[in-house]
Amino acid sequence: MSLQNAIKTHAGLIPALVVIGIFMIVPILIILVYSFLAPGDYGGVKPEFSIDAYQRLLFQKNLFDETVFDPAYLKIAFRSLWVAVVSVVGCLVIGFPVAYYIASQPEARRNTLLLLITIPFWTNLLIRTYCWILVLRDTGLINSALLSLGIINEPLTMLYTEGAIVLGLVYTYVPFMVLPIYASLERLDVRLVEAARDLYCNRWVALRHVVIPLAKPGIIAGSILVFIPALGAFIAPDLLGGGKNLMLGSLVQLQFSSARNWPFGAALAMVIMALVLICLVLYARNIKKGGGGMAH
Amino acid sequence: MTTAIDISNLQKTYPGTPPVQALSHADLEIRDNEFFTLLGPSGCGKTTLLRLIAGFETPTAGSLKLFGEDIAHLPPEARPVNTVFQHYSLFPHMNVLNNVAFGQLRQGKSKSEAKATANEMLELVHLADFASRLPNQLSGGQQQRVALARALAPHPRVLLLDEPLSALDLKLRQSMRTELKRLQKETGITFVFVTHDQEEALAMSDRIAVMSQGKIQQVGDPATIYEFPDNRFVAEFIGDANFFEATSLGGGKYQLARGETVMGPDIGADTNTTATVFFRPEKAELSMEGEGLHGNVSEILYLGNSTDYLVSLVSGETLTVRAENHKDGSALAEIGTDVVVSVDAKAVRVLANR
Repeated sequence: MSLQNAIKTHAGLIPALVVIGIFMIVPILIILVYSFLAPGDYGGVKPEFSIDAYQRLLFQKNLFDETVFDPAYLKIAFRSLWVAVVSVVGCLVIGFPVAYYIASQPEARRNTLLLLITIPFWTNLLIRTYCWILVLRDTGLINSALLSLGIINEPLTMLYTEGAIVLGLVYTYVPFMVLPIYASLERLDVRLVEAARDLYCNRWVALRHVVIPLAKPGIIAGSILVFIPALGAFIAPDLLGGGKNLMLGSLVQLQFSSARNWPFGAALAMVIMALVLICLVLYARNIKKGGGGMAH
Repeated sequence: MTTAIDISNLQKTYPGTPPVQALSHADLEIRDNEFFTLLGPSGCGKTTLLRLIAGFETPTAGSLKLFGEDIAHLPPEARPVNTVFQHYSLFPHMNVLNNVAFGQLRQGKSKSEAKATANEMLELVHLADFASRLPNQLSGGQQQRVALARALAPHPRVLLLDEPLSALDLKLRQSMRTELKRLQKETGITFVFVTHDQEEALAMSDRIAVMSQGKIQQVGDPATIYEFPDNRFVAEFIGDANFFEATSLGGGKYQLARGETVMGPDIGADTNTTATVFFRPEKAELSMEGEGLHGNVSEILYLGNSTDYLVSLVSGETLTVRAENHKDGSALAEIGTDVVVSVDAKAVRVLANR
């Protein structure tokens, strides 16, 4: 009886559950299973249980077939985390003022500006990232301009650096930061800013004490939307980092393609997922703690 | 008596095609420690004037002085003036105490001092127990009182109130009136109160400025404004009035359109010039016979504490008499009764037609 009721009341959820199940849970389970199998000789997996893939994350076999600690992949993981965090900060620094500017425009203008924000999505990411190579390389736009103006004598090395990767990621993901922040700023009651000004805040102090705290949900959403893909990104790291600064995303892609070690690739993917989850939990906790107010 | 706010020839025009003249010309002196009300219908410029004083708008022309200092072009944060907003505008991400402490903290006061003042202010508005609540956990009336406490906490020299009671229901509005008056007396701060509700204005104010179409029509204490309006707009906006076009016969005698005459004050108008004669509905008396304006009751509106009798005069005009019912509750007249309306000469007002 109660089961029937439960089915009745939750029947509306079934389509959503089916979609989530098919497109999210099942693929993750497949990856999870793969990560505990042995690699096939030409890619794919062999149906043998193995934890080699996870062991490889931290340990290597040396010449004498002894298992020794090897932090190479750990370093890659930390570098990826670092690059993702810097990209989030970069997107925030650029995205917040842009969102604030758009939100303060008259309504007709706002929609046009939002459309402009989405324009980059109309072109393939690969092509857009290639364009950055043309801009950044030694004979690229920036260097030749600076050289011809006589500001520098030798081309600056910009391409194939960690900075170039961050630049590419910020460029790619900044719309994901702008849109949610815009959404929360648009709902912000401008009269609250007036109230803050009335209570002895200048423009900047009002921004700090009223606008930013109220835009927090958008800032959090934007940060998550940037952080997750930035952590697993491989196009920008490959093209702009030149492959010498290997990142987690590139590493995963490599395992499934040329290295033909699917279990290891799957294990790496699980690690990325775990990292993301850990970061989200830490973030959520931090927000809850800081959400109370200021005079405590 | 010290002048708190001195406004002269203050103007505000919003650009546009055509430009909107929200405040066309204002001269006003608001005294220290007074409850001053800006009263008028929507679009009359009262809110614009308030926002000019607060600093949310800059004047197109004219001067605005606060205790002798020209503040016309100072930003809002540099003015020792606080506002109670119509929709409260409490910061939703801060609890009540932090909302109230906000102003003093931004002024650079220490946390402990700001909190102490905030608690004091919450005490003053009877919300001491609600300090740790968030604004959305409070009722409208409570939010209103928090907004008041927040605006009072930094000890402003002038408190501006922008229709603060309009979002409250009737009973609450009435109790808040007394509360506001009490707060004004207790704190000794000059209150500038904006409202479109004439009853509110009459009940609370020391003085009222009636505004219309971007101009100040009359400034005075409530009784003067009600009893001796300067012009027809003021007379019509504050309370009700029966108006008649009349011709002056000299000596305080006025002839209405169809030949009836009424006695009123002698305004020194030349004989045979036209004037507008009016009186308040509650000043007229309804009787069955005698001297006065003859007519017939056409409609009766029962208001509880009084009753409005609409009387169609023999001359064709309509007027309203407001009277209490008999002590036993029965009406003075039925619809269709022939009646005589009389009004004491002392209750009649006359405006010279220009």
